Amino acid sequence: MTAADTVRTIAPAAQVRDAVKVYGSGDTEVRALDGVTVDFPAGRFTAIMGPSGSGKSTLMHCVAGLDTLTSGSAYIGDTELGTLGDRQLTLLRRERIGFVFQSFNLVPTLTVAENITLPLDLAGTRPEPGLIDELIDVIGLRDRLRHRPSQLSGGQQQRVAVARALAGRPDVVFADEPTGNLDSRSGAEVLELLGDAAHGMGRTVVMVTHDPVAASHADEVLFLADGRLVDRMERPTADRVLDRMKEFDGPSRQEARS
Amino acid sequence: MMAINGGRASLRLSVASLRAHRRRFAGTFLAVLLGVSFLAGTMMMGDTLRASFNTLFANAGGGRDAVVRSSDVISVSGKGQGVRQPVDATLVRQIQKVPGVAAAAPDIEGAGQLIGKDGQPIGGKGPPTIAGNWIADSKLNPYQIAQGHAPQAPGQVVVSRGTATRGNLRIGDTTVLRTPDPVRVTIVGLATFGGQDGMAQATYTGMTLGDAEKYLMPRPGDASSIPVRADSGVSQRQLVDRIAPVLPKGVEVITGERATAESQRDVSGQFLSLFTTLLLVFAGIALLVATFSIHNTFAIVLAQRTRDNALLRALGASRRQVLGSTLVEALAVAVIASTAGLFGGMGIAAGLQALFPAVGFPFPSGNLVISTTSLVLPLAVGVLVCVGSALLPAVRAGRTAPLAALRETAVDESGTSRLRAVAGVSGIAAGVALTALGASGTPSVLVTAAGAALTAAAFIVLGPVAAGYAIRVLGAPLARLRGVTGALARRNALRGAKRTAATATALMIGVAVVTLFTVFGASLKATLNQTVSRSFAGDVAVSAPAFGAGGSGLSPKLAPALAKLPQVNTAVGLGKGVARVDGAGRQLTVADPGALGRVLDLGKVDGSLNGLGTQAIAVSSGQAAKHRWRVGSTTTLRFTDGSAQRFTVGAVYQQGDLAGDYVIARQAWEPHRTQDTDTLVAVSFRPGVSAADGKAAVEHTAASYGNPTVQTRAEYAKSSASGINTMLTLVYALLALAVVIALLGITNTLTLAVYERTRELGLLRAVGQTRAQLRAMVRWESVLVAAFGTVGGLGLGAFLGWALVRAADATGATAFAIPPVQLVVVLLVGLVAGVVAGLRPARRAARLDVLRAVATE
Ligand SMILES: Nc1ncnc2c1ncn2[C@@H]1O[C@H](COP(=O)(O)OP(=O)(O)O)[C@@H](O)[C@H]1O
Ligand SMILES: [Mg+2]
Repeated sequence: MTAADTVRTIAPAAQVRDAVKVYGSGDTEVRALDGVTVDFPAGRFTAIMGPSGSGKSTLMHCVAGLDTLTSGSAYIGDTELGTLGDRQLTLLRRERIGFVFQSFNLVPTLTVAENITLPLDLAGTRPEPGLIDELIDVIGLRDRLRHRPSQLSGGQQQRVAVARALAGRPDVVFADEPTGNLDSRSGAEVLELLGDAAHGMGRTVVMVTHDPVAASHADEVLFLADGRLVDRMERPTADRVLDRMKEFDGPSRQEARS
Repeated sequence: MMAINGGRASLRLSVASLRAHRRRFAGTFLAVLLGVSFLAGTMMMGDTLRASFNTLFANAGGGRDAVVRSSDVISVSGKGQGVRQPVDATLVRQIQKVPGVAAAAPDIEGAGQLIGKDGQPIGGKGPPTIAGNWIADSKLNPYQIAQGHAPQAPGQVVVSRGTATRGNLRIGDTTVLRTPDPVRVTIVGLATFGGQDGMAQATYTGMTLGDAEKYLMPRPGDASSIPVRADSGVSQRQLVDRIAPVLPKGVEVITGERATAESQRDVSGQFLSLFTTLLLVFAGIALLVATFSIHNTFAIVLAQRTRDNALLRALGASRRQVLGSTLVEALAVAVIASTAGLFGGMGIAAGLQALFPAVGFPFPSGNLVISTTSLVLPLAVGVLVCVGSALLPAVRAGRTAPLAALRETAVDESGTSRLRAVAGVSGIAAGVALTALGASGTPSVLVTAAGAALTAAAFIVLGPVAAGYAIRVLGAPLARLRGVTGALARRNALRGAKRTAATATALMIGVAVVTLFTVFGASLKATLNQTVSRSFAGDVAVSAPAFGAGGSGLSPKLAPALAKLPQVNTAVGLGKGVARVDGAGRQLTVADPGALGRVLDLGKVDGSLNGLGTQAIAVSSGQAAKHRWRVGSTTTLRFTDGSAQRFTVGAVYQQGDLAGDYVIARQAWEPHRTQDTDTLVAVSFRPGVSAADGKAAVEHTAASYGNPTVQTRAEYAKSSASGINTMLTLVYALLALAVVIALLGITNTLTLAVYERTRELGLLRAVGQTRAQLRAMVRWESVLVAAFGTVGGLGLGAFLGWALVRAADATGATAFAIPPVQLVVVLLVGLVAGVVAGLRPARRAARLDVLRAVATE
């Protein structure tokens, strides 16, 4: 029995069914998602790859409750997002989801420590004892807790964002190109943190990236093209991912479409 | 590629930018529009009032070619038009013999207040209540019969149509005319004045010549003046030249034109200028507040546009082109908003014209009159304020380095420099010291004003530095009470100290002026209260508004009648007279000096008030010191009848709060008096008489003397101060606009800030801030800014109020009072206003698209 088979039997932490997202209408209509069905198994680190404009961010936004599907359904655990109003979606994001964006992840007026506990503070709940301390040690910024984001480097800012995403013990952490603006060393640190989150702390992590090296940190890679799920790859390596990506530019693109 | 060559490019940039940022200039537009509307409205209303009054007097006085009157007029400074002695009515016959004279008639003008159908006196709360003789010659009489007929028998009167309407009186009705002695009269006719229902809001009653002589003049055969009509072909000048030789010494003749001009000047000069100046001052305050708001908007908008401007510079635009395009933008907003403001002004003027008569304010009907000045000046001020406010930010925009395009727009951290802190603190220290210096000892208005201005300016300079500390302190409980939402609001308010301060400064100025007047008003009230409680030793006061303020005063027979009551120990009537002492007009208190000491506390008295008789007067110690008088000194009083008499100073008393500076016995005043009236009757009860019984007895007797107000000591003290409340209400109403403009400024700044923080707000929403929390965050920021402005304004205003009270107080008798309840109300209103100002930006922020923040560029 492969590891993948074991994981498949566990209920997914998040999933979409026949997801369609259409922007605009008429001549300007764009089908950003064109019937995607995918689940994100709990406790796994999944990467979403695909060429620019293929719908990676859209998929992530829709499954994370930041945007709504045109048709189809999205779930976090058993909760169908389409039935939720703005307030319930907000509460869901705050309690069950963690976010890491490509840039502008932190509130500039808050200190590092305040940024980490922001979702908890917004909910008015106390963090789990020891957890925050542990996260601070993991990201290695104990001496920077009272600093403002503008006093940190890009890599440090992203590490703080990861800590914030994990502070509330969310069901799923979504990261959209978290290393997009970083040099390779800082990027590697952030990816390690995300890997730890899944494998060490048992969180479900979904990461959008177009960097094969980043994708190789994941347990599985999903490939999107033109709003469709075209392939998946278990235990990826950077080289295999790169090879697969190259195919998108070749004739196989036609194949994927049909 | 953009072709940037010269002014046209600048212009094109401005237009494009205006179009793109229309919403962001909405606040500026409104601020200019409101300020200009107020200014223009005030000026246009002044124009209209002046024109209407001029027409009114010209129409009414049109038939009078000359007016004969006593040449001697004694005026007391600050007390209106002065008092002119009557002329001998027998002069009429001599004047009629002068060739070229068509008609001449005695004209008697006094005060008489009619009682309306409901038993309440008509008018008497400002505009005069005129009573006179009905002149048969319709050209000489400014009033014309509109209905009914002229008075033909004693007791018959004609009243102006406006008066009849207000009192709900009709022809055939019988009522009472207070002259101040109550006279029963029957209305036989209604009259118009210059085609209107009356002379503005003044009431008019015309009686027979006999009645008028009897009730309004000290002696029969006297007239206030003699209007004359010329034969056709005789000019006013010729008429005057012919009449002058037949007049005795002390009597003069002037042309009808001059008489009309004098009436017009009396109204425009006293009432109108005061009124319009007051309004202009408040329009100025509103515009000052607007200046801060506008400056702030431009500063923010241009800071937000740093990148665009830098890009333009990188593409080759010169500094001047960037500056020029910004200024053209400001100019466009200024011109459009100011022009709209002119229309707003017309609306305000027309609205006031319709509103004022409804609240009993004199405002003759007529078309809206608009002078060129009233169009040009507000337009110029609006444009100047707007472009002037944009100048500094525009220069800064022009200086944008092309490289700034490449940098991330930094948060504005300026404004908290050490230089500013030092300048602000030392400015305030110097200002306060100067004010205190000016206000202490012998107060110097000039020094105090300079100190006050310096303090106010230093407050504004210190604003950005103070904003940091103040918001930290004011916001501290917020962070504790409202959790992270409160903490975020506080941090946001702290973000651009300069911006927060500039936003709050506008409100601070508004609140400071409100507080200044509140404190000043409270101090005046306290002073009056103190005066009455210190000086009024009687049990009840009977009063009626006097001459100058309309009304007819009290009958001099009231005091003797009250004195006869078994409950009453002493009842003293206080009348007013004028005389010239040492060349200056002085107000005299006419009373029974001996009894006066029993109802008023005069303090220490040197000499004796008893038996001043016709040869002596009593003076206050203040006047005595000024003229170096002591008991036994002599001085000459010149009366309006031209006579002069030497008086001995029989007594010097310490407290002249109610008694005035000069007390003269009734019998000494009698030969020189005009219409006889008392303004106050002070009554003390016999021992053992309860306040309620005594008051009821006094009221019962007073009822037959025109039903004047009877008040206990406390009531009297309170009502003396009631005029101040009316003034305060007016001032608050006028200041409301400045406060509204300041709030618009807060709304505007916040709207711009929300726009600026789009990504951050989106991030907050993404990680779990609910819409309600976001709205609360913006609202609390607004409240914090408003709180800073309000608290600063309260402090500054209270200080300036203190300075004003002290500077205006030459005698040291003025009380300084801080009314806590009113100031708390001001604070609460400021905070609530902050909530209101934050509503719109909060709603906008909550509508923001979460994904805008998340989407990568
Ligand atoms: N708000 C939007 N309005 C219109 N089109 C959009 C919007 N957001 C994304 N798109 C389009 O949807 C497609 C998918 O976008 P996205 O999910 O951002 O792709 P990726 O993240 O893979 O680069 C693209 O063609 C993009 O242009
Ligand atoms: Mg993307």
